[in-house]
Amino acid sequence: MSCCGEAAEHGAGDGGQRKLLEQVVVEANERVATGVGLLALRAPRMAASVRPGQFVHLRIAEGTAFILRRPFSVHRARGETIEVLYQVVGVGTRWLAEREPGDAMDAIGPLGSGWRIPQGAAHALLVAGGLGAAPLGMLAEALAERGVAVSVAQGAPTAERLVAAGLFEDVARRVETATDDGSAGVRGFVTALVPALLEQDRPDVVYACGPEPMMCAVARMAAEAGVPCQVSLERLMACGVGACLSCTVSTRSGLKRACADGPVFDAVDVVWAQDEVEGLKR
Amino acid sequence: MSGRDVDLRVSIGSLELRSPVMPASGTFGSGREYADLVDLSRLGAIVTKGVSLEPWPGNPQPRIVETASGMLNSIGLQNPGVEAFCANDLPWLAAQGLAVIVNVSGHSVDEYVAVAKRLDREPAVSALELNVSCPNVDAGGMQFGTSCEAAASVTAAVRATTSKPLIVKLSPNVGDIAAIARSVEGAGADAVSLINTLLGMAIDVETQRPVLARRVGGLSGPAIKPVALRMVWDVYEAVRVPVIGMGGIASAHDAVEFMLAGATAVAVGTANFVDPAAMTRILDGVEAYCRERGVARVADLVGAAHRGAGGGQ
Repeated sequence: MSCCGEAAEHGAGDGGQRKLLEQVVVEANERVATGVGLLALRAPRMAASVRPGQFVHLRIAEGTAFILRRPFSVHRARGETIEVLYQVVGVGTRWLAEREPGDAMDAIGPLGSGWRIPQGAAHALLVAGGLGAAPLGMLAEALAERGVAVSVAQGAPTAERLVAAGLFEDVARRVETATDDGSAGVRGFVTALVPALLEQDRPDVVYACGPEPMMCAVARMAAEAGVPCQVSLERLMACGVGACLSCTVSTRSGLKRACADGPVFDAVDVVWAQDEVEGLKR
Repeated sequence: MSGRDVDLRVSIGSLELRSPVMPASGTFGSGREYADLVDLSRLGAIVTKGVSLEPWPGNPQPRIVETASGMLNSIGLQNPGVEAFCANDLPWLAAQGLAVIVNVSGHSVDEYVAVAKRLDREPAVSALELNVSCPNVDAGGMQFGTSCEAAASVTAAVRATTSKPLIVKLSPNVGDIAAIARSVEGAGADAVSLINTLLGMAIDVETQRPVLARRVGGLSGPAIKPVALRMVWDVYEAVRVPVIGMGGIASAHDAVEFMLAGATAVAVGTANFVDPAAMTRILDGVEAYCRERGVARVADLVGAAHRGAGGGQ
């Protein structure tokens, strides 16, 4: 991808990966926190080729009901299964929450660029805000598998909504948490944890996903500390494959597509414009 | 199954198409983005995103919003300009052996002419679709498509600079689309395509502000199909040149309706986003419809509803 400052280091070569249109089957659909579900989908072909940070574009509703697909980061991939985390925020995610084991749905994927693991990285800091934990799950596992030490800073409104905390505990050498209500870790935003982590236990790379103001703040802290940072950005998306130009991201080298050039970008390339994200909530 | 017994070929002026189904401009990139997912060789043509003389940045975010049975977009014809298109997209398109219809955009008559002139040198370009109907740009775009005089003058100017088949894409945001169609036919258009999106808007009741950064956008999707169908019907009665019908087509049933109303070919737009297999599924369905009714050539459907017959019954 044109946004990449560093060479992609993941196992499967970018050139070898094909976009797939696959009928996937719900294996499990569980509520993991208030308003948050974890959907396990049997998707053998996608599970075999997906890389951490990529997403799937799920068709919502059946028959003649017309509703755009919804993009979801792949949270984990195991065997023939991929998992996605979703927050119930509107008609599409409500429909997802109603799916039961055995239900089929139509998925396009794997899509987008993934997280890149810089050559020689020995220690990575993952910063997750709310559902931003979703694309970091598979990354944390991939890093641990390669012997890269993982530190995690995770924030959520409440302790109960620290989704994927168990996964992070399993693979990370250190997990720090922040909650809005102080029900776990420190009271406040996850960004408050980052300066100390950067200073005391300097990582070789920072990966951040969460609300855009959080990612913007983490990107600045990482830049000040001289640590490369990648962020996974969210935009309203129609096609998901790079055709419609709905999901543009302003970068130092011009407009890029969140779906095809991203969703992962090097933070130094992103031109942060908070007013650009006001319309994202649905 | 003798699946190939229906002749799916249609002609848009001198342009021969292997089938009557193509993507609508702006919904399919230059085809490459969908190549893993769609058998492009079955399509009548690839219709590219709008191409302008210089690179255009398009509009600020947010650019889309979902609406009932449709969506609003205000992409604003973001594109890297005609030179980048010829360097990066055309060679790939040429290698696919597909008919390539390039959608041409401009801020002024001179810009439309310059793009057409540049594309005229490219053998891989099969035809031009003149975009005088984009509702998402301030200068140019729809302003050339909402008066008969302006539409005729840009059509005539481009006609004089290109030897390629010239299709003019019409705006539905007019009082009398048939009159515009007659004007561009008189100015030398080989075909007309319709409809582009309908101007609309959505307001966020939480923030009490328009959802789209540009405030307004173009409505597409199944919500606009009856409007588009009526316009295709009217334009078919008004002109002799072929009509390419589009606007909310999502099924073979929809496509057949447009052909019966007078469309020689149909374009599928927003439905591609929901189902990348939409065009090939529609093609299969149109073929099955013809076979079931003993229609030997899909072209026999064109305008059949005006003749009071169901197409070969």
